[in-house]
Amino acid sequence: MAFDIDKYAAGSERLGWDDLDLEHFRQNPLSPETLRTLRYMADVEYHTVCYTRDLLTTPSHKDGDISTFMTMWNREEFWHGEALGAVLEVHGITVDYDALRASRLKLGWRDRLDPIKQSMLGKIVGSDFVAVHMSWGAANEWSAVSAYKRMADLETDPVLGELLRRIAKQETRHVAFYVSQARERLQKSKRAQKLTRLLLSKFWAPVGSSIMERDDVQFVFGQIMSGVEGRKEMKKLDNNIASLPGMQGLTIFEKALDGLGVAA
Amino acid sequence: MTTSPDPQVARPFDIREFTRTAQGNFRSELDLASYESEPLSAQELEFLRYAARLEAATMEHLRNLLVTATHKDARVTAFLVTWAFEKFWMADALDAVLEAHGLPRTRTVPEGAPRRSADEAIQRSGPIRRALAAVGLGTPIVAVHMTVGLIDEWILRAAYDHLRETTTSSALRDTIGRIQIIKTRHEAFFADETDWRLRDSKAAVRRARAALLTAAWPIGGVERAAVDRDMFETFVFGGTGGAARAESIGTRVAALPGMDARMGSVTAKKLLP
Ligand SMILES: [Fe+2]
Ligand SMILES: [Fe+2]
Repeated sequence: MAFDIDKYAAGSERLGWDDLDLEHFRQNPLSPETLRTLRYMADVEYHTVCYTRDLLTTPSHKDGDISTFMTMWNREEFWHGEALGAVLEVHGITVDYDALRASRLKLGWRDRLDPIKQSMLGKIVGSDFVAVHMSWGAANEWSAVSAYKRMADLETDPVLGELLRRIAKQETRHVAFYVSQARERLQKSKRAQKLTRLLLSKFWAPVGSSIMERDDVQFVFGQIMSGVEGRKEMKKLDNNIASLPGMQGLTIFEKALDGLGVAA
Repeated sequence: MTTSPDPQVARPFDIREFTRTAQGNFRSELDLASYESEPLSAQELEFLRYAARLEAATMEHLRNLLVTATHKDARVTAFLVTWAFEKFWMADALDAVLEAHGLPRTRTVPEGAPRRSADEAIQRSGPIRRALAAVGLGTPIVAVHMTVGLIDEWILRAAYDHLRETTTSSALRDTIGRIQIIKTRHEAFFADETDWRLRDSKAAVRRARAALLTAAWPIGGVERAAVDRDMFETFVFGGTGGAARAESIGTRVAALPGMDARMGSVTAKKLLP
């Protein structure tokens, strides 16, 4: 099914939470574990624009649909960060611009060379790389939906649950865009399929891996993806990826969770 | 998100308020019906087409900024995310006016060939060269981006002002006025950032001066069609009063921290047809 980009753009709104009583957390504070995971998610959301940078160095930005999507998507993700930031704020945890900058500065050399590497890769394989970009985005957005839904199920707090479900709802629209793009582009080119398969299996890592400390990554994925239910969710994610043209049999999520030592 | 108070500079621009009150789609509020009885001239429509391209080219521009240290500054990226969103809808409003004249929307109209001049070659450098050129530069590059962004706003303001002054269509005057109100906050942000960043660092001033010497206006101009650029320069900075409009921008450039009359006249000269 084709994704209606005009409809998406017209309906794109910043996430609202004015009707939710965040002050309720003052009497019913969230656990430190939950706050740690929320902090991780807020950081990832705020850093979306940095991922955009890596993606924009490929030929993708010249495509009208893609640049329209990126404009709206960037802003929606920014507001996911703001929403989670508001919850943290009530708990006395401040996510300010300087703190975010500090974590971006930590990225150092590896990060600096990333757009160069990506862009050269982009030039070499031309438009096939757009298919990689779109498949990558699909994997990330799929995992965002799972993470927010799992978190909402695990949490008993009704206010947090509602907020997370609202975020998850926007994430499903992101999935729809990336998947429709990825499918179409992979379908058209065997070379794009091969390249995507290679890069996903070699380089894909859960969102946030490149910007957060490893023990944060382990902690967060342990919290939301461990146990029987977590593994079930993981299988679902791998099946989603495997449903893309040429991606049959890939198990990137399983590999990632095993690599992080997340208990089954 | 809260903004940390800066002990050295009181920044009047409220980034939080800006992000919260971003202007989205305002197509439905435009007076499009009046163009049926009072259509715009071919020259005005051409100008709107080009303006729509300039406003819509945010992802191109973002790419050039984000490959440098600018992406590390969370305050600036929060601004840029919202700025791109607002510009998208400004371009959409301009498209609405074009569509009211039976013309297709801008993204479906192929763009002409760009200019080929040796002195603008550096502006055409892709993300690899930009990223390499930015290695080791750190924060001064952010000051450069803010300065260039500010001057770009001045140029577009002069262009929209001139269009409002010359058109006989009150509907167009209203639409352009509406767009200019949205752009006021963009200019205010760039002005604030430019001011403190150029005051803050000699390296930033050095880099900004070098950038102005090789700049091509408006931002992203090198990617635009040569014929459109000629049209823009002739319309805004040609004819009676054109040179004075360029001069006025030059004067403002000269008055920025660390800039001088030379930088002002270099900039003004580049604007002329
Ligand atoms: Fe998100
Ligand atoms: Fe998302």
